[in-house]
Amino acid sequence: MDTSLFLVQLLNGVQYGLLLFLIASGLTLVFGVMGILNLAHGSMYMIGAYLAYYFTTLTDSFLLAFIISGTIALVIGIIIERFLIIHLYKRDHLDQVLLTVGLIFIFNATQSYVWGNDPLGVEVPELLSGSIRLTDIVEYPVYRLFISLLCLVVAASMYFTINKTRLGMMIRAGESDRAMVENLGVDISKLFTIVFAIGVFLASLAGIVSAPIVSLVPGMGEHVLISCFVVVVIGGLGSIKGAFVAALIVGIVDTYASVLLPQISSMSIYLLMALILLVKPQGLFKN
Amino acid sequence: MQNILEVHGLQTLYGESHILHGVSFDIKAGETVSIMGRNGMGKSTTLKSILGIAPPRSGSVIYKGEDITRLPTWKRMRQDIAYVPEGRGMFHNLTVKEHLQMAARKNSRGETNWTYDQVLEVFPRLTERLTNKGTQLSGGEQQMLAIGRALLTNPDLLILDEATEGLAPLIRKEIWQVIRQIKDSGVSTIIVDKNIKVLNELCEQHILIVKGKVVFNGDSETLNENKEFIEQSLAV
Ligand SMILES: Nc1ncnc2c1ncn2[C@@H]1O[C@H](COP(=O)(O)OP(=O)(O)OP(=O)(O)O)[C@@H](O)[C@H]1O
Ligand SMILES: [Mg+2]
Repeated sequence: MDTSLFLVQLLNGVQYGLLLFLIASGLTLVFGVMGILNLAHGSMYMIGAYLAYYFTTLTDSFLLAFIISGTIALVIGIIIERFLIIHLYKRDHLDQVLLTVGLIFIFNATQSYVWGNDPLGVEVPELLSGSIRLTDIVEYPVYRLFISLLCLVVAASMYFTINKTRLGMMIRAGESDRAMVENLGVDISKLFTIVFAIGVFLASLAGIVSAPIVSLVPGMGEHVLISCFVVVVIGGLGSIKGAFVAALIVGIVDTYASVLLPQISSMSIYLLMALILLVKPQGLFKN
Repeated sequence: MQNILEVHGLQTLYGESHILHGVSFDIKAGETVSIMGRNGMGKSTTLKSILGIAPPRSGSVIYKGEDITRLPTWKRMRQDIAYVPEGRGMFHNLTVKEHLQMAARKNSRGETNWTYDQVLEVFPRLTERLTNKGTQLSGGEQQMLAIGRALLTNPDLLILDEATEGLAPLIRKEIWQVIRQIKDSGVSTIIVDKNIKVLNELCEQHILIVKGKVVFNGDSETLNENKEFIEQSLAV
């Protein structure tokens, strides 16, 4: 592999990693704060992608599709938390698994019913469709750079919200001792709705922006969910900082493995996870 | 004077075990009230029932003339009640400064009686610990932070459960001083503590709970008249 290809793969790896972070951060946030492991988190990624497809086709504008789909995702998040997840807080993990796996089936059936099982694609929005020249012979698509930039902006906003704002302090406090948060006059159920909706939104956002660079197929949600688990486990359950670092590592390793070691590429990230857990059984950043 | 709190016939159970057997008492606005009793007699449970943390099976809690028995805890707190629990309720992932910032709010009438700076003024020790996590503090500092945090919600009724328990004498003294200051500012206060001597001079009203029942309820004068009975009930 020469340097220019190496560079392109590095950018691809970072871009994939950042996208994984977007999804994994929502998963880990919801788990860390609310103690809920949402197995349907990947479905929200899928739904985001299909909504983007639907509204791009309908409106002919990716930007409009982006806004509408993002809004719908937020609403879906609020509805799921208010009507379903709310019943889980006092129940055990098995009930969480049953409910959220049930949601996967519902979302998959909906996807199949509405959009069918043939692969679909979304065109890269015109404004971002060009490439920029990295070296004399290497070009890189602007849209992928846009994804990376967007993910970085989201990561920075999350960092700011969680660490610097009062809402973020309340969310962290809820992670530590939710009864005490209530004792301070905070409506914890509203806080949980907000956190869950943010989590769903982040996964859907990843699906929306991925739509132009992946093919939309049934099962895309489960595939990404498993990669997210790897990220969350490597990073340390509940740690957003950990998810960030782990997502980049997983993204880069996965990308290089598929170029350098195609025979084992599908298991590379699991090998990586096993190695890291051997050294750090709690993940890189134990919460 | 008007009652800020009226507690009627609280019956509270944890699962099968019946803890409170009809606890009743009134608290006048602006007064400081002690709740005494041996370990496990139901003092904390009484506070938790008032706050909705351990909802009573029957009985009622009237606060400022309104029945709050069925309100969720956070809504009661929004009506200007503040609670410093046993164990202090520190957040392991928030700094001292963040504990204070996240709790601070105007009271329901939009007033601010306690500011961040004022809290640090009464608890100067916290100033040096602002960037430490809540659980990294010593017991005394945690207690100060828990009280400071409660004050920043600008309460009309402050509920303190064992605020001086397990602390060094000097720190206790500091905490009692601040409680006195809070009392002087006109906040109604319920104090669960074991130090009868301090309670006797600080509080206008005293309540003694034995096995989930109020067995004494009176002012400091009556307390002194019944000293023998009280001490007997508190002896281990
Ligand atoms: N969550 C709970 N579940 C079951 N039983 C409980 C619970 N909390 C307290 N109890 C029991 O209720 C009784 C009263 O407890 P409570 O905490 O009200 O006592 P207390 O008067 O505050 O005692 P202390 O001085 O030790 O704090 C005790 O027998 C205790 O074991
Ligand atoms: Mg107690």
